[in-house]
Amino acid sequence: MTNSNPPAPSRPLRVAAEVLENAVEGPGNHRLVLAIPGWPGAEPGQFVMLSPGGSSEAERTDPLLPRPMAVYRGHAAARGGRAEVEFLLKVTGRGTRLLADLAPGQSIRLVGPLGSAFAPVVPGKRAILVGGGTGIASLYELASRGAADAEVHVILGARSEGDLMGVDDFEALEVDCHITTEDGSRGRKGRVTDALAELLEAPGPPAELFACGPTPMMHACAKIAQEQRLECQVSLENNMACGFGVCLGCAVPVHSGGYSLVCRAGPVYPADQVVWEGLP
Amino acid sequence: MTESVDTRVDLGGIALRNPVLTASGTFGYGTEFAPFMDLAALGGFVAKSLTLEPRSGNPPPRIAETPSGMLNAISIENIGVEAFLNERLPELPGDVVVIASCFGTDPGNYAELAERLSESPRVAGIEINASCPHVKSGGIEFGQDPRLLGELVERVRGVTSKPLLVKLSPNVTRIDDMARVCEASGADGICLINAVQAMEVDVESRRPVLSNVLGGLSGPAIRPIALRMVWQAAQAVSIPICGVGGIFTPEDAVKFMLCGATAVQVGTANYLNPAVGREVAEGIAAYAARHGFPRVADLTGALRLPGAP
Ligand SMILES: Cc1cc2nc3c(=O)[nH]c(=O)nc-3n(C[C@H](O)[C@H](O)[C@H](O)COP(=O)(O)OP(=O)(O)OC[C@H]3O[C@@H](n4cnc5c(N)ncnc54)[C@H](O)[C@@H]3O)c2cc1C
Ligand SMILES: Cc1cc2nc3c(=O)[nH]c(=O)nc-3n(C[C@H](O)[C@H](O)[C@H](O)COP(=O)(O)O)c2cc1C
Ligand code: FES
Repeated sequence: MTNSNPPAPSRPLRVAAEVLENAVEGPGNHRLVLAIPGWPGAEPGQFVMLSPGGSSEAERTDPLLPRPMAVYRGHAAARGGRAEVEFLLKVTGRGTRLLADLAPGQSIRLVGPLGSAFAPVVPGKRAILVGGGTGIASLYELASRGAADAEVHVILGARSEGDLMGVDDFEALEVDCHITTEDGSRGRKGRVTDALAELLEAPGPPAELFACGPTPMMHACAKIAQEQRLECQVSLENNMACGFGVCLGCAVPVHSGGYSLVCRAGPVYPADQVVWEGLP
Repeated sequence: MTESVDTRVDLGGIALRNPVLTASGTFGYGTEFAPFMDLAALGGFVAKSLTLEPRSGNPPPRIAETPSGMLNAISIENIGVEAFLNERLPELPGDVVVIASCFGTDPGNYAELAERLSESPRVAGIEINASCPHVKSGGIEFGQDPRLLGELVERVRGVTSKPLLVKLSPNVTRIDDMARVCEASGADGICLINAVQAMEVDVESRRPVLSNVLGGLSGPAIRPIALRMVWQAAQAVSIPICGVGGIFTPEDAVKFMLCGATAVQVGTANYLNPAVGREVAEGIAAYAARHGFPRVADLTGALRLPGAP
C-alpha cells in the first residue's frame, strides 16, 4: 500500500505563521506569503494543512477543518529564524475565502510539511510537467530544481486565463513553457493533454511525466503514459481532515490492494498504482 | 498555582495522570502524534478500534465537512489485533497509557479480541466499541439493544480482568437504560458518545456526500447532545463515566466533568490541532486552580443546579 517515492524528509511542525503578503493574482487567485518559524523546508509535492481564519479566532468552529495547500515555493528557515513560504490558492469555497481574506500581520495556524514528494527528474530524460488549475502550485519547486539536471517542459492549463496560476514564475525559469486554456483566452485553445500529445510526438530523449490537477486530467495523463510506456507520477488532491494519517478520510484505492492514505503515502503516486475508475 | 492541583483520576481502575484521553479513531495508534507532543502529557489514549483480522474501509468519499462538524464513514479500517500488539504497541514509550478498542460482529469475536489484548501488559484497559454508526453489521446493533448489549458486556467481562469500558451510541431513546445495563453486566466504566448517525447531500449532483450514504457526525456540533447524555448517564449509574463529543477546549472538558464525567476524550479536535489533548489537560488544571479545587477529580459532578447554592 505504499509507493516507491522517497518518504517525507522532515518532521512536520504545528506553528502559528505570520501573513506577510496576500496578493490577488487574477480573479479568485491569491498568492499567500507566510513567515513560518522553524520551517524545515519542503520537498517538491509536499503540502501543509492551513486552518482558515486567523489564529486569534481560535474559537472558530465553522468551517471546521484545515485545508490542504501545496507548498508553492520557499526555503528552510535559518536556525532559530523564520522562512518565507509562498502558497498559490484559488477561492473555491468558504475555507479558501477566509484564507484569501487574511491581511498582512495576521497569524494563521498550520501543520506541515506533510506527505510524499515527487521523485526527482531523471537526468538525460525529458521531464514533462502537466499542471491543471490549482494543481499548478504543486509543480513549481519540481520545475525549478529539475531545470538544472534535465530538459524540462511545463504544460499549464485551466478553463480560462483567470484560472491559471503562477504562469509568470514558470516562464522566468529555464524551462520550456506551454499554456493552454479551454476557451482560448490565453495560450493555445484546448486541453493540457492536447499539448502533451504533441510534445510526445516531437523527437527527443525518452519522456517522463509529472501531473497534478483535476482527477480526469491526471487520469488522462496516466492513460497516455500507460499507452506509451512512460513513467508517470501524479499528485492527488483528495479531501482531507487531518493531513497526517489518522482520520483515514483521504483513502484512495490502489492496485496493490485496499486503500492508501493520500496524505501520508501520497499525495504523489506512480500513476499506475492508482485505481482511477470510479474515483470521485 | 496549577502545580499544586492534583490532576490524577481513576477511570474504572485505570490510573490516569490527568483526565484527558484522546478518542478512538482520531489518534491513530499514537505514534503519529509524536512529532507534535510528548504522548505522556496525556492521561492516555484510545487506539483505533481493532478487529481480529486487518480490515479495509469504505470507498471514498469517506469524510465531509458540515456546520461545526464533520461526517465520517470510515468503517473501522484497521491493521488487526496482531499487528497492533506486535508492531505498534512496542513503538510507544512505556509511560504512555494505552486503551485498546475492540470491534466485532458477534460477542464471540469481541471476546476473542479482548482475550488476546488482555495478554499484553501494555494494554491498560479495554474499550468495547458498541456504537460505530456506519458499519453494516456489528457495533451499533449492540449499542441499541439493551439485551444484546448486556450479553456482549458479560461475555467480554468473562474473559478479561483488565479495566473494561463500554463506548455507547447516542442513537438510542434512553441512554440511562444502556448505562444501567453496562453497570449490571460488569463494566468498570462507560464512555459516551460515539458519533451521531447523520447524512448530508450535495444538491448540484443530487448525491449523498458520502459513498456510504450515512455517516457519523462529530465535532462541536454534537457537544450539547453529548453533554446531555453524560448528565443523564451520570444520574443512572455509579461507575465512572468518560465524556466524549465535540470537546475542543479546556472549558468544554470541564463542562463534561461538572455533569458527572470522571475523564474525557478529545476526538475530532486532534485533526485541527494535534497537541490539543495536552492543552486541554493543562487548561483543566488551571481551571481547577482558579476555582479553588485542590484535585481535578473534585470537578466531577460539581454542577450547581437551579435552586442549589
Ligand atoms: C495535497 C493537496 C494540495 C493542494 N494544493 C492546493 C494549492 O496549492 N492551491 C489551491 O488553491 N488548492 C489546493 N488544494 C485544494 C484545496 O485544498 C481545496 O480547494 C480547498 O480545501 C477547498 O476548500 P474550500 O473551503 O474553499 O471549499 P469547500 O468546497 O467549502 O470545501 C469543503 C471541504 O472539502 C474539502 N475540499 C474541497 N475540495 C477539495 C479539494 N480539491 N482538495 C482537498 N480538499 C477539498 C475542504 O478541505 C473542506 O473540508 C490542494 C489539495 C490537496 C489535497
Ligand atoms: C474519522 C473518525 C473515525 C472514528 N473512528 C472510531 C473508531 O474506530 N472507534 C470508535 O469507538 N470511535 C470512533 N470515532 C468516534 C470518536 O471516537 C468520538 O466518539 C466521536 O467522534 C465524538 O467525539 P468528537 O466530537 O470529539 O470527535 C471516530 C470518529 C471520527 C471522526
Ligand atoms: S487526511 Fe486524515 S488520514 Fe489522510
